[in-house]
Amino acid sequence: MDSNLSHLDKLENQSIFIIREAYSQFRDVAMLWSIGKDSTALLWLVRKAFFGKMPFPVVHIDTTYKFKEIYDFRDKYTKEWDLSLIVAKNEEALGENMGPTKGKFQCCNELKTVALKQAIAKHGFKALYLGIRRDEHGIRAKERVFSPRDEDFEWDYKNQPPELWDQYKTKAAEEEHIRVHPLLGWREIDVWEYVQREKIPAVNLYFARNSKRYRSIGCATCCSPVDSEADTIDKIVEELKTSRISERSGRAQDKEDDYMMQKLRSLGYM
Amino acid sequence: MSANPRTIIIGLDGVPFGMLKAFADAGVMPCTRAIIRDGFFTPMQSSIPEVSSVAWPSIITGHNPGQHGIFGFVDMIPDSYKFRFPNFKDLKAEPFWNLCSGQAVIVNVPSTYPVRPMNGVHISGFVSIDFEKSVYPQSLLLELRKLDYRLDVDARKAHTAMDEFLQDVDKSLTARIKAHQFLWDNYDWQVFMLVFTGTDRLMHFLWDAYEDPAHKHHDFFLDHFKKIDQAIAEITAKLTAPDSLIILSDHGFEKLEKEVYVNHLLASEGFLAFEQGAEPKPVNMASATKAFALDPARLYINQKGKFQAGSVSEADKSACLADLEQLFSSLEIDGRKVIKHIYRKQDIYAGPHLNSAPDLVLLADTGFNLKGAMTSKQLAAKGPFTGKHTYPDAFLLVNNKDLTADLSENPCVTDAGKLIKSCVS
Ligand SMILES: [Zn+2]
Repeated sequence: MDSNLSHLDKLENQSIFIIREAYSQFRDVAMLWSIGKDSTALLWLVRKAFFGKMPFPVVHIDTTYKFKEIYDFRDKYTKEWDLSLIVAKNEEALGENMGPTKGKFQCCNELKTVALKQAIAKHGFKALYLGIRRDEHGIRAKERVFSPRDEDFEWDYKNQPPELWDQYKTKAAEEEHIRVHPLLGWREIDVWEYVQREKIPAVNLYFARNSKRYRSIGCATCCSPVDSEADTIDKIVEELKTSRISERSGRAQDKEDDYMMQKLRSLGYM
Repeated sequence: MSANPRTIIIGLDGVPFGMLKAFADAGVMPCTRAIIRDGFFTPMQSSIPEVSSVAWPSIITGHNPGQHGIFGFVDMIPDSYKFRFPNFKDLKAEPFWNLCSGQAVIVNVPSTYPVRPMNGVHISGFVSIDFEKSVYPQSLLLELRKLDYRLDVDARKAHTAMDEFLQDVDKSLTARIKAHQFLWDNYDWQVFMLVFTGTDRLMHFLWDAYEDPAHKHHDFFLDHFKKIDQAIAEITAKLTAPDSLIILSDHGFEKLEKEVYVNHLLASEGFLAFEQGAEPKPVNMASATKAFALDPARLYINQKGKFQAGSVSEADKSACLADLEQLFSSLEIDGRKVIKHIYRKQDIYAGPHLNSAPDLVLLADTGFNLKGAMTSKQLAAKGPFTGKHTYPDAFLLVNNKDLTADLSENPCVTDAGKLIKSCVS
C-alpha cells in the first residue's frame, strides 16, 4: 500500500477490498443498515466500491421503537440513493406486545435477533455486511466474526491468510450465513473524520441540542444522550479527540446484566 | 477411541446424599444403586457459601475461593457500589480441562460462561446468556440447535405456569442427554463432564413434591431422577475397565421453612442505612452504613480504603465484626436459632484473592434460607420456594475405590476437584 496514503485512505481501501471480495464470493448478500453513522458510512463505502450503485439490498431491522428522526432519514436516503430496502420486523412478537418493559434482553432478542433471522431465512442471504467496529464496547462487539479468531473471537484482519475467502465458504456451508465486517478496524473517530471528509449525511440526533447529543443511536427506549455542545461534525471530531467517555455510555450497556439479574431473581436470589 | 483410561464426571446439581441414597435404595435409580454398591459413596461438604456459582468453580479447579476468586453469583464494585456478575473470565485458577493432555468435553458446568477456546468441546452452564458465547467450537451451534439444546430452563415460568416449567425441565433434560450422546460418539475425548441442573430447579420449587407422595408433581419428580439414572446406565454400559466414573453434587438440599432477610436485620439494627427516600439498593446506601450482605449471606464491612464511601476504620473493624457475630448468633425466629455457624474469612478462605472475600459468611440452621435482597420489608417470610441449599450433605460417588485412597475423611468440593485433577493429569 502506498505510504503516502492518509490513514483514512488506507482504511477506505481495505474496506472496499473486503466489500468487493465478499460480494464476488457470495453474491446473495445484503447489508444491515441501522441508519446510524457506522452503517451509513458502510453504505457509502459500498456505493463507492460499486461506482455509485447498490448491487444488493439494504436491511433495516425495525423494532418500531426507533427515533422518528431515524425513520425520516431512512426514507429520505432510500429514495435519494435508490436503495432496495428490506424492512425486517418480528411481526409475531410485536403482535404479542413485545417491548422493552418485558426485559431489555428479551426485547432486543425478539425484535432484533429474531427479526434478522427471519429476514435471512426469507431471502436466503448467504452473507451479511455489518458496520461493527472492534473498538465498540458492549454486547454488539461479540458478534460472530471470521476465523481465524484470537482468544476473544475477534478477527485480526492483518493476520488473514490470502486464501481467507475459501475458509469463509467452508464456514458458510455449515452455518446459516457469514458476517462480513468491513469497518472492523475503524475507530469511532475514524468514522466521524470520514463522514466529515466525504460529507456523508448523518441523523441529526448526533448533533447537540440543549447541550445534549447522542453518540450512539438505536431504540428511543434504550438510548440516552450525553452532555455535549458539539452541534456540527467538525465539533464532534474535536470533541472525540479530547473526550474519554465511552461511546456507548449513554446506551443500555447492561443488557446482559439485566438478563442475569432476571435469571437469578427467578431462583430467589438478588 | 483412545485406549488410555478415561474420566467421566457426572454432576447432579444440588442433589443431597440422603436423596440419592433413598432413590438408590427404593429402586428409583437402580443403576446408581449398583455403582454405590461396588464403589465409594460419601457425603461431601459444599463450598461456603453453599451455592453453585462457588461450588462448581471449586470442583473444576480443586481450589478454594481464596484461590479461584469466585465468592458468589454477584459482587459489589468497591468504587461504585454497583453489582457485577462474576463469570468464567473472573475465574483465577485453571479448570482441570486445561491441565488434561487429551481432549475434554465439558457440558453445562455452572459458572463457566462465556466459553473460551480449549482442547475439546465446552458448552457453558448457568448463567449462560448468549448461545453463541456458550458454545466452543462454534461449528457445534447448528448441531446443538438441531438437538433443541437449551442452556437452561426458564425458572420464571415456575412462578406463573408450573406445567410449562416442568415441560421445559423435561425438554432440557432430554436435549442435554442427546447432546451428550452426540458428543460422546463424535469426539475422541479423554475426559467427559456432564452436569444435570434440572435437579436443583426442581428442588427449589418442588421439594414438597419430593416429600409428599400425594403431591401432583411427585411422579414427575421421580421420573426426572429415573431418566437421569437411565442416562447414567447408558454411560456405564459404555465404560471399559480402567475408566473412572465420578458422580457428584455441588451442595445438598432440604425443606425450606422460612426465608430470612439478612439486610433487613442489618438495617433494623443500624448497621445498614439508605439515603433518605431512596430505593433500598446498594448504590443508595448512606455513608453511615457499617455492613451489608450479598446473596446468600456474605457480610461485608463497609471499610475505609476498601469501599469508596467506607465508614469503618481498620481500628474499628474488629469491634464491628464482633458486634455482627453477636447479633447473628443470638438471632431467633419462632423460638429457634437461625444461624448455625458464622465464619470469618481467614478461617475458610486462603489464597491471593482473600482481599475480595466477604468478611463474614453465615450458615443457616435447618429450614432457614438466608437471603441478601435489600428490598424486603420483613425479616422473615415464606415465598414460593419449598427447598433450599444445604452445606454438609452434597455427595461424592466414585466407581473405583482405589481412587479415593487419599481422600480426607470429611471431603469437601475442593477435595473432589483435586481428585478429578489427579485422574485427568
Ligand atoms: Zn440452587
